[in-house]
Amino acid sequence: MIPSRWSLARRLLLAAGVLVLVVLPLAGGGLAYTFRQTVTASFDERLDSMLRVLLASVERDPLSGRLAVAPSLGDARFERVFSGWYWQVGDGQGTTRVSRSLWDQRLPLGGASAGVTRHDITGPRGEPLRLIERRVRLAGYPRPLNVGLAVSRQPLDDEVARFEWLLWLSLLSLGVLLLGGLAAQIRWGLAPLRRLHADLGEVEAGREQRLGTRLPAELAELAGAMNEVLARDRRLIERGRAAAGNLAHALKTPISVLGTLAGRHPEPERLRVELTRLDEAVRHHLARASAAGGASLAGRVRVEEALAPVIDGLGRLAERRGIALDAELDDVLALHVDAQDLQEMVGNLLENALHWAQGRVTLRVSTEGGEACLDVEDDGPGMTPEQREAALARGARLDERRSGSGLGLAIVEDLMDLYGGRLTLETAALGGLAARIRLPLGGPA
Amino acid sequence: MKVLLIEDDRALAEALTEALGDAGLLVESAGTGGEGDYLLRTERYDAVVLDLGLPDGDGTRWLAQWRDDGIDLPVLVLTARERWSDKAAGFSAGADDYVTKPFETAEVLFRLHALVRRSHGHAHPVLSAGALSYDTHTGSVTLAGRPVSLTAQESRLLAYLLHAMPRVVSRSELAEHVYDRDHEPDSNVIDVQISRLRRKLGGERIETRRGQGYRLVAPGDEPT
Repeated sequence: MIPSRWSLARRLLLAAGVLVLVVLPLAGGGLAYTFRQTVTASFDERLDSMLRVLLASVERDPLSGRLAVAPSLGDARFERVFSGWYWQVGDGQGTTRVSRSLWDQRLPLGGASAGVTRHDITGPRGEPLRLIERRVRLAGYPRPLNVGLAVSRQPLDDEVARFEWLLWLSLLSLGVLLLGGLAAQIRWGLAPLRRLHADLGEVEAGREQRLGTRLPAELAELAGAMNEVLARDRRLIERGRAAAGNLAHALKTPISVLGTLAGRHPEPERLRVELTRLDEAVRHHLARASAAGGASLAGRVRVEEALAPVIDGLGRLAERRGIALDAELDDVLALHVDAQDLQEMVGNLLENALHWAQGRVTLRVSTEGGEACLDVEDDGPGMTPEQREAALARGARLDERRSGSGLGLAIVEDLMDLYGGRLTLETAALGGLAARIRLPLGGPA
Repeated sequence: MKVLLIEDDRALAEALTEALGDAGLLVESAGTGGEGDYLLRTERYDAVVLDLGLPDGDGTRWLAQWRDDGIDLPVLVLTARERWSDKAAGFSAGADDYVTKPFETAEVLFRLHALVRRSHGHAHPVLSAGALSYDTHTGSVTLAGRPVSLTAQESRLLAYLLHAMPRVVSRSELAEHVYDRDHEPDSNVIDVQISRLRRKLGGERIETRRGQGYRLVAPGDEPT
């Protein structure tokens, strides 16, 4: 059984290998057999004609009435002893005439009852011979005669062997060439599949939203279909996020009402504890719903574009408060961050800065050493080292009122965890607080 | 402080009106943008609390319209949407601050006080005139460090005068900002409450400008 997880290339190579290993030997065997048949047939034909000449020279001596052969085969090899060329004529009763080459040896005749027979025998010196034999009646001679002619098979076998050697050599080279060619073909033919696989990897990692469709027709259709599935997934995620968001938002107004009414309840604290739990559950799941989609399917986002609405909105607010908001953005920088999350980070920091600033807030987005730097500074009162530590401490955060800078920083810190970045608080050149975000340019590790 | 609340959720509007009322604020509420728009253009308020999801158009649309028409009073936006793109849209339309639902009354109060204070140009949450000080967050009044007990109405009057300081405030301005529109007082009532305040704080702290109105002074300040 072939394991079902075998690669396509392996399957194709295996199939091709089996084909080559089966078809080529079969073809070779067929060719060799045919060649041997053909060569043997023409050899036999030559033997036939020599036999006819021999037959023509067999006669009954008119004087003695004995058998006589006047060899006129015209080939010296019949005269040379054990040359491999022999003839023999006999009546089976002791009267036998043989070629000189046969010397004192005899051919095993008598197998043919009628007509012509051909078979292979072993000669006097152990050499392979091709024997042709015929049983004839000679006019005036009382007994039938066995006439045989044997010729060494050596030239025939040599020729066949030479042919077969050449044949197998060519078939072997053909097989090697075929397999090599097939391997190259598979590699080239499957290259678009590998590209598709690489594209899928990019989508999975969130660096791309769709698969490339510059592929061969069959795969382009597949990629198109997969893109539709991906798009549908994104729509489903969007719908899920929207549904979770709507549910959470629908709950918020009643929770607000209950929270406002809690003051009149005989045990307001118990009510508030439950409301806080309810509120936290809503926020938690809302945040999860939006984060899950964001991290897995986010593409690259141009920072300037994503932050434009935030800077526009907070710019208006700054103007109303008489604060100068200077934004200095790298106009080509693109980050591997969900646009909403980026707005959340920078929006919260800017809002805090505007809250404390006397007259000036700056936002600077730049890159340094493989990191994106988002720096927000203000000219407000700033924070003491203890205050900064407290603002970033995890436990402190839940008790903090939203009115200060507590929750905003907490959200930014959560996002830093998600994206593998970090938030630091320092003293700004302007005199107030400097909040600095560092995000890896390559996306979350 | 007189606040216009524009909120279509009746339960929330009622609860918030009561809670803010308990804290000494005068709250008038409108259930639609149109109604709010009408009240805003006919009455005087110190601040607006605006819900963004209104039945007759998004809150930001009404807000942008008011800003275009030069209505500049502080607006606190209430929204269930926490996304920054929504907040940014609110700010772009001219919001001064926002509170996301669910919220607590204290949160809304805190932000309203901060907005009104800022709109009068005060940076510090405690307003003072000489030995008299008023904490905008807690609403407590102290005179030379000792707490002074005031009724809600007196407290509103004093807070308005403190916010407006050193400006002279007319009786009609006080009537519009410190009293419910259904109970607009005649000038007698204001005079009576001013004299009660004078009794509690000392007569020299509130100066009467004949034909103009009242002005809060810190004793020792040179009257102009």
